[in-house]
Amino acid sequence: MTAWPLKLPAHEAVLAAILVLALALLAVLSDRFFTLDNLLNQGLLMTEVGLIAMPMTFVIITGGIDLSVGSALGMCAILLGYSWHNWGFPLPLAIGFALAAGAAGGFVNGWVITRLGVPPLIMTIATLALYRGLAEGISQAHSVRNYPPWFAALGQGTLFGVPAQLWVLVVAIVLFGVVLARTTFGRALRAIGHSETAARFSGLPVDRIKLAVYTASGFMAGLAAWIFVSRVGTTRSDMGMGVELDVIAAVVLGGTSIFGGTGTIVGTVLGLALIQLLKDGLSLTGVKGDATIVVIGTVLILSILVSNFAERRRESGRMPPAPAPRPTTEKGRNEP
Amino acid sequence: MEADGAVAAPLLSLVGIGKSFPGVQALRAVSFDIRPGEVHALLGENGAGKSTLIKIISGVHAADAGSLLLDGHPIRLVGPQAARAAGIATIYQELLLFPELTVAENVFMGHAPRRRGRRLDWKAMRSATEALLESLDITDLDPSQVVGALSVGNRQRVEILRALSQDARLLIMDEPTAALTGHDVERLFAIVRRLRARGVAVVYISHRLEEVFALADRVTVLRDGQHVATRSVAETDRAGLIQMMVGRQIDSLFPKVTAPRGRPVLELSDLARPPATNGVSFAVHEGEIVGLAGLVGSGRSELAQAIFGITPATAGTMRVAGRAARVRSVADARRLGIAYVPEDRATQGLVRPMTVRENASLAVLGTLARLGFIDREAEAKLAADVVARFGVRTAGIEQIAGRLSGGNQQKIVLGKWLAAQPKVLILDEPTRGIDVGAKAEIHRLMSNLAGRGLAVLMISSELPEVLGMSDRVLVMRQGRIVGEFAGTAATQERVGAAMMGGG
Repeated sequence: MTAWPLKLPAHEAVLAAILVLALALLAVLSDRFFTLDNLLNQGLLMTEVGLIAMPMTFVIITGGIDLSVGSALGMCAILLGYSWHNWGFPLPLAIGFALAAGAAGGFVNGWVITRLGVPPLIMTIATLALYRGLAEGISQAHSVRNYPPWFAALGQGTLFGVPAQLWVLVVAIVLFGVVLARTTFGRALRAIGHSETAARFSGLPVDRIKLAVYTASGFMAGLAAWIFVSRVGTTRSDMGMGVELDVIAAVVLGGTSIFGGTGTIVGTVLGLALIQLLKDGLSLTGVKGDATIVVIGTVLILSILVSNFAERRRESGRMPPAPAPRPTTEKGRNEP
Repeated sequence: MEADGAVAAPLLSLVGIGKSFPGVQALRAVSFDIRPGEVHALLGENGAGKSTLIKIISGVHAADAGSLLLDGHPIRLVGPQAARAAGIATIYQELLLFPELTVAENVFMGHAPRRRGRRLDWKAMRSATEALLESLDITDLDPSQVVGALSVGNRQRVEILRALSQDARLLIMDEPTAALTGHDVERLFAIVRRLRARGVAVVYISHRLEEVFALADRVTVLRDGQHVATRSVAETDRAGLIQMMVGRQIDSLFPKVTAPRGRPVLELSDLARPPATNGVSFAVHEGEIVGLAGLVGSGRSELAQAIFGITPATAGTMRVAGRAARVRSVADARRLGIAYVPEDRATQGLVRPMTVRENASLAVLGTLARLGFIDREAEAKLAADVVARFGVRTAGIEQIAGRLSGGNQQKIVLGKWLAAQPKVLILDEPTRGIDVGAKAEIHRLMSNLAGRGLAVLMISSELPEVLGMSDRVLVMRQGRIVGEFAGTAATQERVGAAMMGGG
């Protein structure tokens, strides 16, 4: 075994540096920022986005995208609340039902994308509308409240002094991280993202893998819905609106290539942390909400510029004596 | 022009050209002349420095050392525009045309004739294109045709027109025949000869030595970034050129040794997947190399991909090692011991941005893993074995596979499938675009594999290769086997006639 996980790739190193810088800056600017309570609270707030960002990293590595996750979260939240409150399901069954509905929603995405060849962008835009529409149609703008006290444990309780849902996030991070870095499944994801044709010609079950990835994406949206409802103690059909943007921003900020093939869970976690800390730090130091979004956008662009620059420097340093007769088009082929 | 005895003054002189990239000296003190009205072939193995050299001449790279003299005057070519302005045009292997636009629009892209007020002068553009077509005696191209609908050969002619529309005096052609079929090659040659007669200098890069002898006046050979020789083609022969390129004697290009033929390993009967595969029956035996000849579009790759499960057969039966076999996916084929080294290394054979290690293990990942976890030591060992066994020239197993030369990439693809320990190996154009030295190595490897009892089915469009390597030759046309020739019965004439559909 080599020590490869310790050696951070260029982009992750840049991100980690920015993160440390931001932490230091915010700690100086606000005395309320660098406290254990505040940091844990921030972790709690990023759990739902974080859970969905795990399978999203996989989806984007295969060269796909899942825009329906926010709507799926809303749909699962409504199904949880309504199946319990209006349809008389016992609450544990309602939770299971919501998780299954999330997985089913993801499966539908994956099935249409792999079997019918619909581009992921189109399919998941369609289900973004569809799942939100279902949530609104079922709920008829009524919210569900008054969950039993035990239900709040996941979203509001703590375990060993740490918010309960953070443990779930940590488990998910470890699980997805190990799968991506160490398993045949993770390797296949990268191969598919770089070249789906070559992956097929190598005998990888490309369609089955993609189906699994989109299903996981829907399932994690369901899990996020459960945690969300538990945290706020109420169910509304507009839950998770726009979450897909936060998730995709974190994944891309984390260095996962939108063209597929490259990306790490470490990067995604750094991206998530950076976005959450910026949001919090800026609000603590009195920056208004709109300005926060501007700062996050700017950081996103800067980080990508910096790591692109670093990447190019590295590439030119290793430039071979031009072994391929036509490097002009070589790039275009790898990066559609 | 050699015949006149009078040697024209050089159009372009290269004097001591050197170029290094970090860590590699790509070119070292290369000097030779290019004369007007000559076809000058540039030969060398992949990695010899041909690409770097043409990039320097066409202004893409700047040389670190030496100088370029155009008509005897030193010039500096900063960027491709400067080269074009100096009358130097390059036609790359991948044609850089706009498929949605017409022939005339492509020809004049970037330098279209304009009327006053900067409006495009469509009429002038059309008539100028017609004049160019006429000057090359091309009668079957219409300036208003959309380029995307043209054949590869015709698109290439559009590129040539484009170069001429900018008054090119020096035309560089990088493997122009790599994607062409027989008829288009002839038409290309006719155009090149016409250009030569007009006084245009043509630098011609090709791996096919026959073309050099058919077309070129002089030939320059590069090896390891150095200039080996520039000769008049009339003064050289095939063996001499090969020796200059590889720096050693290649005893035999096709070192096929006959191995004892064993039991049938792959038996097809009426295998079909219309429209490309229409009922194919044959058998390949242990220790046998069966060559599959045919024109482009005769359905050879489609047949291979039906056998291999990419596009499973819809009718007919298949037996592997005597047992009835159904292949519905590549995974099925692999389980049965069928391996396929595809035609298109770049998109089908390799995941080019991944490392040598990751590519070498891709077809056998499952066997290298326990509970889904990849055994990284076993994987590294497998990759190191592939590199050592096939003599892959690479910086190491963590090298990005796409950066290796064509021959070395092909060895990785071969190694990746041999790691699956197949019984049947299907090779689709195994040596296309590979330099002479690597080609001989791959041929020797095929011969060894057959000698050890592997059944090999080889698809190739190079007739000498098919005839030289195969124990038996099958000919395919329109998705069917239309001829079978064993041993000495397989001659160029008979196989060629069967491919064309003649008697």
